[in-house]
Amino acid sequence: MNFFRSEEHARNWSQWNPEAEQQLQPLEHYAERFAGEMFRARVRPDFMSWLDEQRRQREREQEGK
Amino acid sequence: MADLETQDRAYRNINQYFIERGFGPHYTELAADLGLPPDEGRELLREVIESGIPAWQHPGTDYIVSFPPFNSMPTQYRISVDGKQGWFAQCAFESLAVRWHFPGQTVRVDAPCLDCGEPIVLEMCDEELLSVEPEGVVGYTYGEIGGSPEDRPYR
Repeated sequence: MNFFRSEEHARNWSQWNPEAEQQLQPLEHYAERFAGEMFRARVRPDFMSWLDEQRRQREREQEGK
Repeated sequence: MADLETQDRAYRNINQYFIERGFGPHYTELAADLGLPPDEGRELLREVIESGIPAWQHPGTDYIVSFPPFNSMPTQYRISVDGKQGWFAQCAFESLAVRWHFPGQTVRVDAPCLDCGEPIVLEMCDEELLSVEPEGVVGYTYGEIGGSPEDRPYR
């Protein structure tokens, strides 16, 4: 998970893999993604409890499908 | 297995230690801060690290390597807060999440482009991306974000 000065630089990188092209995205895309609730919640005083509740909720949703 | 309230206290302690120092605590420090015997601190640290968060210890040791968004081991993602350089991000993408740990402060990321070695500089404060040098910076990973499950250094 790295930054490059431009799309051209990323494509020129020795470890560029065209099969993962969909993961080449503008900085703003990742800035938004890493602004999600999970990332902000890490500073909650009850983060582990919050995380556990998130997991339980996902499990309940999966069971309900 | 520690109860969730104890895990909350441990997580909060580790996170705050990173915020204040730029690296993680040894388990004996965690234990002392929480009023536990050293061995219980070691076990509690391992439980938090292995809880499924993208954190990990150096293999075969009790040393914290990474505790997102921070890294104890230096990476190419150097973080400065209000002009003071003192932290490393786990990876490029996690560098974008460091700002949530320093509300109201300017978080700067200095990193080299892995293709040409030339600098990339970002500045953020809370919700705002204040500046990006050069324009057109992109993010890329060739693997699944977080790494493929079989290679992931964490569960």
